[in-house]
Amino acid sequence: MIELAELSIAYGRGPSKVSAAEGLSLFVDSYELVAVVGPSGCGKTSVLMVLAGLLRPSQGQARIYGEEVRGIRRDVALILQDAGLLPWKTVWQNAELALRIQGQKDSRERVDEVLHQLGLTGFESRFPGELSEGMKRRVGIARALALQPRVLLMDEPMANLDSLTREHIQNLILTLWREMGFTGLLVTHDMEEAVFLGQRIAVFSPRPARVVEIVDNPGMGTVEYRGTPEFMAKVAHLREVLGGSS
Amino acid sequence: MRSALSSTVRWVLLYLLALGVVIGGWGGICALLVWVRGRPVLPTPGETFTAAWENLPVLAQAFGTSALRFLIALVVSFLLGLPLGLAIGFERRLDTFLSPLIYILYPMPPVALLLFLYLAFGLGEVVRLVVVVIALFFQVVVAAQGAAKYITPSHVAAVRSAGATRLQLYRHVVLPATLPNVLTAARVSVGLGITMLYIAETKLGVLLGPEAGLGRLIEYYTFRGDISLAGVVGLALLGLLFYALLELLERSLCRWKFVGAQRGR
Ligand SMILES: Nc1ncnc2c1ncn2[C@@H]1O[C@H](COP(=O)(O)OP(=O)(O)O)[C@@H](O)[C@H]1O
Ligand SMILES: [Mg+2]
Repeated sequence: MIELAELSIAYGRGPSKVSAAEGLSLFVDSYELVAVVGPSGCGKTSVLMVLAGLLRPSQGQARIYGEEVRGIRRDVALILQDAGLLPWKTVWQNAELALRIQGQKDSRERVDEVLHQLGLTGFESRFPGELSEGMKRRVGIARALALQPRVLLMDEPMANLDSLTREHIQNLILTLWREMGFTGLLVTHDMEEAVFLGQRIAVFSPRPARVVEIVDNPGMGTVEYRGTPEFMAKVAHLREVLGGSS
Repeated sequence: MRSALSSTVRWVLLYLLALGVVIGGWGGICALLVWVRGRPVLPTPGETFTAAWENLPVLAQAFGTSALRFLIALVVSFLLGLPLGLAIGFERRLDTFLSPLIYILYPMPPVALLLFLYLAFGLGEVVRLVVVVIALFFQVVVAAQGAAKYITPSHVAAVRSAGATRLQLYRHVVLPATLPNVLTAARVSVGLGITMLYIAETKLGVLLGPEAGLGRLIEYYTFRGDISLAGVVGLALLGLLFYALLELLERSLCRWKFVGAQRGR
């Protein structure tokens, strides 16, 4: 469960102050998967940073399962834009990283399992420099899921991938969400991705981000949804809303 | 694996070839000097190697002493310089306050301070180490600081979002991210380090015997050009040894760097 209440985020002070969000409110229920779309630079990543405990809001509150976010929480995992893999660590070490930092013992099996789920078995001792872009993203997802988080924050996990790889990873995220049961917030600038993966879709305004509209998307949840008339209608609707606001 | 082996063989062959070129050039210069000056000036490679062979025990001892001295100085300057340089480069506050200090001290040649170093540390082993350490220390600090300044923010976010402590941040990100640059800089600094070693061993070892280091040996045998020159060859080999050692260290500690580069070709 995620609650953003009248959240404002600002970088810097005085004349050089940049406001990344202003009076932003959003509610995500337990086990819900909500997509966030908005123009680039509107403040989407900043909102995730606040939820991950890496950035303090200037006003308002972010709450996770009823508790105000004051720092890093062990039940929250963040998938960074471009995966944020460490080039000097192997696939296995990258996947294990978050567990290791948190000092969780006996993580070996869990890492093996999650790498298997993401189709990375056999690549454990490769370095990121040896992987395709799609594989790197999957390692980033593995690293977050190894934590078995209650809340998964995803920052454009499919950006800059070719369309085939993108659809593959979208399907993977859908499956993992249904199997593992986490509360998910997925940031994307791809309308089709938002409609494919969001039970609800929150549309952000240009900077500073506010929620302009929330689109209900009850048809979501299966791979077959992609390409149906309902799906296309939602995508068209989103295009219209975003086109008007930016 | 096969390609790794063949590249090592190629590497060794190239060094042997270079050695041949150096010895050939050296012989040529000897002949040239005889022709220009009308008398032998520089001992020939043959004379030098004969002298080296005849004085092998003392030469080996001097080489060993110098090598150990250089190794200790290198390790000490890394132990002191690496944490300091990384912290200055990575912590913005330290950067603003300590960078000017480093850059004021950095260009100052420690040779110019020999008198004061001698007064402070006496003429023992310590002072010879200190001279080399000071020179290498600043090289390591400046290289580490420069590399730590430009760490990819997403790498930091990756470990911070998992709840990393400051120490874990250094261990998993700052140190491995900067190590290739720092080791490369250290390799480049070997030349400077050997020069400082020579100065320390000659200027701060006047009462010692020839086995107290290659610099001392070169000075001690001023009137036996061939042995003296053998000492110079020893210094060159010493530099090469540490150059290769640092290269190997980089290849084994920063394997990821070379894997990526090979794919890129
Ligand atoms: N560390 C920072 N310092 C100053 N401004 C920043 C920083 N990070 C982001 N911004 C600014 O905040 C705004 C929102 O950024 P971001 O949250 O990354 O947007 P999005 O993810 O929607 O593209 C942008 O205008 C960006 O320039
Ligand atoms: Mg962003």
